Amino acid sequence: MRTGMAAAGAAAAPAILSAQTRPPASRTIRTVMHGDIPTYDPIWTTANMSAYHGAMVYDQLFGVDDKLQPQPQMVSKYGVSDDQLTWTFELRDGLKFSDGTSVTAADAAASIRRWAVRSGTGQLMLQRLKDISAKDDKTFVVSLKERFPLLLDGFSSPSTPVLFVMRKKEAETDPMQKIDTIIGSGPFVMNQAETRAGSQYIYDKNPNYNPRSEPASASAGGKVVKVDRVIFQNMPDSQTAVAALQAGEIDFYEIPPIDLLDQIQTDPNINLINLADLGTVGYIGLNWLHPPFDNKLLRQSLLYIVNQEEMMKPTFVDRKWYAACGGWMTCGSPMENDANTGWFKGGPNLAKARELMKAGGYDGRPVVVLQATNIPYMMNAATVFAQQLRAAGYNVQLAPMDWANVVQRRANKGAPDQGGWNVFFTSSGGLSNANPYMIGGMATTGDKGWFGWPSDAKNEELRTKWINAPTLAERQAVGRELQENAWDIVPHMYYGQWRQPAAHRKNVTGWLKVPEAIPLWNVSKT
Amino acid sequence: MRIARFSRRNPTIVLGAVILAAVVLAALAAPWITGDPVLLIPADRLLPPGAKYWLGTDHLGRDIYARTVHGARISLLVGVTVAGLSVLIGLGIGLAAGYWRRVDAIVMRFMDGLMAIPAILLAIALVSLNKASVGIVIIAITIPEIPRVVRLVRSVVLTVREMPYIEAAVSGGSRGQKIVLRHILPSTIAPLIVQATYITASAILIEAGLSFLGAGVPPEIPTWGNMIAQSRLFVARAPWTVFAPGTALAMVILAVNLVGDGLRDFLDVRLARRM
Amino acid sequence: MTGTILRRLLSMLPVMGIVAICVFLLLHLAPGDPASIIAGENATPENIARIRTQLGLDQPVWKQFLVWLVALVQGDLGTSMFWGDPVSSLIAQRAEPTVSLAITTLLVAVFLAISIGVLAAAKAGSWIDRLVMGFAVLGFSVPVFVVGYVLIFVFAINLKWLPVQGYSPIADGLVLWLRNLVLPSVALGMAYVALIARITRTTMLDVLAEDYMRTARAKGVATRSMLFRHALKNAAVPIATIIGNGIALLIGGVVITETVFNIPGIGRLVVDAIARRDYPIIQGVIMVFSGVYVLVNLLVDLSYTLFDPRVRG
Repeated sequence: MRTGMAAAGAAAAPAILSAQTRPPASRTIRTVMHGDIPTYDPIWTTANMSAYHGAMVYDQLFGVDDKLQPQPQMVSKYGVSDDQLTWTFELRDGLKFSDGTSVTAADAAASIRRWAVRSGTGQLMLQRLKDISAKDDKTFVVSLKERFPLLLDGFSSPSTPVLFVMRKKEAETDPMQKIDTIIGSGPFVMNQAETRAGSQYIYDKNPNYNPRSEPASASAGGKVVKVDRVIFQNMPDSQTAVAALQAGEIDFYEIPPIDLLDQIQTDPNINLINLADLGTVGYIGLNWLHPPFDNKLLRQSLLYIVNQEEMMKPTFVDRKWYAACGGWMTCGSPMENDANTGWFKGGPNLAKARELMKAGGYDGRPVVVLQATNIPYMMNAATVFAQQLRAAGYNVQLAPMDWANVVQRRANKGAPDQGGWNVFFTSSGGLSNANPYMIGGMATTGDKGWFGWPSDAKNEELRTKWINAPTLAERQAVGRELQENAWDIVPHMYYGQWRQPAAHRKNVTGWLKVPEAIPLWNVSKT
Repeated sequence: MRIARFSRRNPTIVLGAVILAAVVLAALAAPWITGDPVLLIPADRLLPPGAKYWLGTDHLGRDIYARTVHGARISLLVGVTVAGLSVLIGLGIGLAAGYWRRVDAIVMRFMDGLMAIPAILLAIALVSLNKASVGIVIIAITIPEIPRVVRLVRSVVLTVREMPYIEAAVSGGSRGQKIVLRHILPSTIAPLIVQATYITASAILIEAGLSFLGAGVPPEIPTWGNMIAQSRLFVARAPWTVFAPGTALAMVILAVNLVGDGLRDFLDVRLARRM
Repeated sequence: MTGTILRRLLSMLPVMGIVAICVFLLLHLAPGDPASIIAGENATPENIARIRTQLGLDQPVWKQFLVWLVALVQGDLGTSMFWGDPVSSLIAQRAEPTVSLAITTLLVAVFLAISIGVLAAAKAGSWIDRLVMGFAVLGFSVPVFVVGYVLIFVFAINLKWLPVQGYSPIADGLVLWLRNLVLPSVALGMAYVALIARITRTTMLDVLAEDYMRTARAKGVATRSMLFRHALKNAAVPIATIIGNGIALLIGGVVITETVFNIPGIGRLVVDAIARRDYPIIQGVIMVFSGVYVLVNLLVDLSYTLFDPRVRG
């Protein structure tokens, strides 16, 4: 059972020591990620940076390998009954939380429950769930009312919220309530004494972490930490971050602006690396509640107006880094197909668009486009979008504001001239976007749904069909049907897909590719 | 003859005024002497200066020449409007506070409070919390300037109040309003003109700073600050993107300051700059 | 004297009260929603509403204000909506870099500015005067972030003399600390040098024009020692005023400079907080900055009595 207080104290002692003695630069990796960690509870929020933090201090029951297939991580053995309704999992030996206590099946079960409430896949599981129970210290059982083929995909998913295992005590917190305690069983321990929220977050190697013996592969395999300390620095100014990377003051920069890549590439000490094959997808939200885009024909007219190439180029410069994508689900993913993409293959066609605008009865009313001014790729895409719509004859009103305002204003269901909106821009991970359940924007559940509130019964039927499809091939077939329907109703659109390369100093190697996370285990410095 | 003599005695005013006149002229003529400042051609991004684009293009493929000239309009509009508004409002409050003791205590406490809030933070907060627009930026820069004008006006009023001719007017039975308007107001004009030039310069600079922090006028509207802020990634790769608006900005600020200094010497106002 | 100080300290209270009301209303009546940002991109409107309730943001504004004010009077600035850390400890963590930057900037600026101001005044009308004042006006005309990038480009990337960014605490060594502060304080000091140099020059000229100085000059007393002994003493009062007023300028510049040089100071803290609408941090920082401003100006006022005994009373 749980170890006593003495053991806990002994285990905590090295952590305290290392807080006082700073490891040398050669054993420290300094990184600049894409943003600041908004809060430490990666279940409570779906913010990506919180998941990055989570991947450092927590461990997962399952990881994904470099082919995105689920592989056991904290789990040693698992099995499923013949009727596919009872799943049994056994935790591997030697798992310990940073407070010294052992990880038990009860911790895992509670963590699954809390995660499930916040996760799209988790909610589907909950609908089918009979019970999750700990059979003994190391074994837990998930029993279902009906089959759920995506169970392991959900458990291993690297998209937020990620199923991180916390202590039962924290995991039993209301999923809508934030946890401030940071005790995990991951490869790193957060050094809270030296962390300066908003400026630098410090993670020390977890001396009690017991990695798997297999070689690391994405978030599967052994999470072997090869340095003493990792620092996440918050550096919002990209010009400064690139300069710091060139000067060797930081080792890794997740999002060097594409325009500075020339400057970086000529530097003999820096390498570019692509860590996310599916990249990121640019999402154009359309408001279904108010004219003009409550009208299907007018939404369809956008298909013939929006030119992704032009919206991508100002930010991502070279085709090496971006692509136009006519798919409803991420291009390059197994779900990519070409159903109903005549509009895309034909390229922009303003005559056709004007025909649709006329048939849809566009009356010249302004289209209010929310433009996030502090996120360059969104700002550029919106600027170009406005020009394209104007060329077709739409009356466009750009509403520039910072991102904090966009996220509030897009929740407003009122008319566009009364605090509402017609169009907003955001983005989502390519992996999430390859799954009609992972992000809220794929649902068409009307005004209960995500911002834009599209409503379409057929799309909902097809999504349910997709989730219940037992094999990949069947899911792909449903994917075609989904897309066929989507480009008829146009629930939302895309402004392109891009793969942002990361940059690192050449002496820091061993970076692993995990969609929507940056693993710091396996990385070494010479 | 007179003009020649004035120029010889006040070369800085003349130099500044000539630069400013040229910029104002360019700003007024912008639609006729340049192309569309908003039109973007992504294929033409970051072109160096050449025959088609005299000053090159920016990262969205917009004509920098057109944007710089049009930028003069907004930058000047921001500068002049902020100066005008803060002087007018500050003058009203300052006169009242300086002349009527009862108003004074309350108003000055309020002004102290307003002055204590860091101007740039107040402006960032005002702009980022509201929808970005030129109007909001102007208001955001004006508010922190007002207390400085009020203090200046009040101090002039306090000095003038004690003058014998005012006391004479009071004992002669003139009403307060009349005294303020007829006798006190004129003495504030000279220092205010000088103060206004400095406010113009600082308003243009603050607008640039706000744009840098992402809290300026809407990105589609060209202003010099905006252009520099949006192009700062390209300083090394495409220096022309920053060069044109940067030079224009520095030149106008320089010109405004020259005029301000010249006026200050010419009108011999000691107070203005200290506020 | 003690009575004066006490009275002045008391007069700070209504000023700070006004600041508190302005700041609170400004933030809470304006749009922007911290709950949506905390919740992340994929959250449902329901999740966001629950977070809003937890943060107390669904309460009426006057109620939120009272809660904040009562805590404030007790010296409690609240806790960050995002990390849950107390605002006072966040500010304390960030104070050292900001104070360091402000002090080094002030020292660099005052030293440089007074030297060139006095020089220009002594050689009034000569080409040295023009050059020095031309430079001063130019320093005033270039935005601080442009100066910052140029300095980084030249001294950090090309010459590699100084670090690009960051801050090294004093505890880690004085040399490291200084190395990190050189570029930011020069960048930030430029405008300040320009301002103080001009004032020094004009004040000096005014003082030089006074009768007793003319007499002294006519008598042939050595010009240089005259300048520094008599004139500077008289110019001290307006210069002190400028420093008091300039604190506002400095605080404004700190916000931008900390962003350019990635200095983890209070300016960065508040700019990031504004972008996220972390209300308690924004309110707390503005209260602290305003308090510093008021206090510095109080000290400047009191310093008049030191420089110029006539002001006493």
